[in-house]
Amino acid sequence: MEEMVMATLDLITASPHSSSSSSSSPTTDNNNNHPSSSSSSSSSSLCLSSISTRRTDLSTDLRLGLSLSPSHYSTPSREQRSSFDWPPVKSTLRCTLVEKSQISQFVKVYMEGIPIGRKLNLLAHHNYHALVKALANMFRTTILCPDSHQLPLISGNNVHVLTYEDQEGDWMMVGDVPWEMFLTSVKKLKITRADRC
Amino acid sequence: MKKAAYSFPEEVLEHVFSFIVSDKDRSSISLVCKSWYEIERWCRRKVFVGNCYAVSPPILIKRFPELRSVTLKGKPHFADFNLVPEGWGGFACPWIRAMAGAYPWLEEIRLKRMVVSDESLEIIAKSFRNFKVLVLSSCEGFTTEGLAAIAANCRNLRELDLRESEVEDLSGRWLSDFPDSYTSLESLNISCLGNEVNLLALERLVSRCPNLKTLRLNRAVPLDRLPNLLRGAPQLAELGTGAYTSEMRPDVFSNLAEAFAGCKQLKTLSGFWDVLPSYLPAVYPICSQLISLNLSYATVQSPDLIKLVSRCEKLQKLWVLDYIEDDGLEVLAASCKDLRELRVFPSDPFGLEPNVALTEQGLVSVSEGCPKLQSVLYFCRQMSNAALNTIARNRPNLTRFRLCIIEPRSPDYLTLQPLDDGFGAIVEHCKDLRRLSLSGLLTDRVFGYIGTYGKKLEMLSVAFAGDSDLGLHHVLSGCDNLRKLEIRDCPFGDKALLANAAKLETMRSLWMSSCSVSFGACKVLGQKMPRLNVEVMDESGPPDSRPESSPVEKLYVYRTVAGPRLDMPGFVWTMDDNSALRIS
Repeated sequence: MEEMVMATLDLITASPHSSSSSSSSPTTDNNNNHPSSSSSSSSSSLCLSSISTRRTDLSTDLRLGLSLSPSHYSTPSREQRSSFDWPPVKSTLRCTLVEKSQISQFVKVYMEGIPIGRKLNLLAHHNYHALVKALANMFRTTILCPDSHQLPLISGNNVHVLTYEDQEGDWMMVGDVPWEMFLTSVKKLKITRADRC
Repeated sequence: MKKAAYSFPEEVLEHVFSFIVSDKDRSSISLVCKSWYEIERWCRRKVFVGNCYAVSPPILIKRFPELRSVTLKGKPHFADFNLVPEGWGGFACPWIRAMAGAYPWLEEIRLKRMVVSDESLEIIAKSFRNFKVLVLSSCEGFTTEGLAAIAANCRNLRELDLRESEVEDLSGRWLSDFPDSYTSLESLNISCLGNEVNLLALERLVSRCPNLKTLRLNRAVPLDRLPNLLRGAPQLAELGTGAYTSEMRPDVFSNLAEAFAGCKQLKTLSGFWDVLPSYLPAVYPICSQLISLNLSYATVQSPDLIKLVSRCEKLQKLWVLDYIEDDGLEVLAASCKDLRELRVFPSDPFGLEPNVALTEQGLVSVSEGCPKLQSVLYFCRQMSNAALNTIARNRPNLTRFRLCIIEPRSPDYLTLQPLDDGFGAIVEHCKDLRRLSLSGLLTDRVFGYIGTYGKKLEMLSVAFAGDSDLGLHHVLSGCDNLRKLEIRDCPFGDKALLANAAKLETMRSLWMSSCSVSFGACKVLGQKMPRLNVEVMDESGPPDSRPESSPVEKLYVYRTVAGPRLDMPGFVWTMDDNSALRIS
């Protein structure tokens, strides 16, 4: 039923907030398994200008005699929808659901001096504090929290700091960038001795 | 000046007035005559300010010198959905400072959608000897340091409720700042906190407060600590669990079930993050006494939800995810005949395809089976005029009806027609409807129905609907009791707004974003109506850098006796009767 309805729609895929980026290409969103998405590219260039200032164009469209069927309006991708502030779901619920729908993100974790590593699901933790706590438990050591202001003044070999390898292959201190940004750039973790950093 | 010989002495009038509690009635009393106004204002103890910018602290304090309880609301409702940019306003500080000076005997402060700083919390903690109730609902701007000040200083605190606030959680240590001698806690809601609180301190606090009736924990409180907490407070009436998961062990389960069974007064449950379905049966012993169940974070499937809900024969309020599906709602309709309020939230709000078997049918079943149903909030992916008609006829006693069809402008999925007639049936049959949220494909016709039948309507939320100004005009001219109107992404413009300018003074506020209201019209409105604040929000720059006919990004209009506000950020401009823009 829904397919039949959708098939009659003339889909436009440009984002309504098309400031700079997305308006020139159809959404290549891997979540969009919409039946008619493949047919969108031909119509997107036609309708882009009307979509980018959607709110003022409706009267123009009515005067042109275009129908009010949903065909005229874009069906944004999942990412676009979530930044589009629709549907009206409060952020506490939104965050909980988004977490649940994400696949896990397991990364390798090595501790300096120990050849066998562990694996940890980053998405099971909501912030740096939780991550450091989990690792400290897993490896039975003290890991200095990234957002604490203490410098590693403590010497000795039972205090560590957390570092990670990013997408460019560089080893960085954990904690400098926002948590969400960290999740997108981390490849693996390493617990190194504090006096080495 | 004649003095009526038969007038009552003030003390008698004051005594009579003390039985009048509702704000509306108090307001009516104060309008009878000057002496009643005077007496009333001196004995008013409780005030509700629905929009903190409608009045100012000095004006409030001047009129009501002896308040014990103040409630303030700040940001517009759409702030809940990220439509109000950061820094917009709603600052509690000026209010708290002023009240600290004027009301040393203040007992209760309730704030909603306001920005509260640690400094403000410290002022509260130190200024009010008899402070009893602090409710911060959807607030932000403070940290656990501010909470520590409250815990350490408020000897008579009864209620600390942080519902849905954004708290910078620096450490769970603050809870230990309640002194050992402190035993008056009746209600604690820390469900919004991110980090673990000191669990030992929490257990001791809970067990030494004999009047504790409400305890809402945060996600970080592990399930295996819950039995101890419950044993420390068997008199609990309302509980919010923490994470509802643990390694499945029979002893943990039986401990939990026993602890729940020991809470004979427990009527309300919430929390349920990360639910492990096999732990749900632990609450079965108390299901038959539950009147309110909030499962909006419980990502479990329909069969588990059905088993739980079907045991709650006294249930009056259910908040649940759409995992419950149509089948689950049918069971709800059959089992919970006392249901007054249902909210069904979307488990996959941004997905394009339905992930669960929840349709309009679920709501229809509940409307058929639950005769006391008054309040509905329902997210779904399809709706029909026929279903809405059925719901309206089944439940003319509905007072709140909020429907969100996830895809904007979705038509009736059976006929492909707009949903005008369906919503029309709702407003026509539900004569006491006070709150309505629309969605789906809607033309100006639906607004005609709303204007004609929605005589008791107080709050209306509209998105992606209507064809022209006529729609807005129907609502503004027809809905006699309208207080709050919030609109986004609708083709409503200048004509209806200006033609109904006077109506706006009878309302609390109007929000319009991504509509077709021009900058010029906003200026005219601001100039014409000195008792309204007409605020234009535009993050792309000053509106006067564009032609007068360009639409404004966001418009927020509200009545006020305090004049234009002085704390606006750079992206907000007030249109007032200086025809030059006041840029802050």
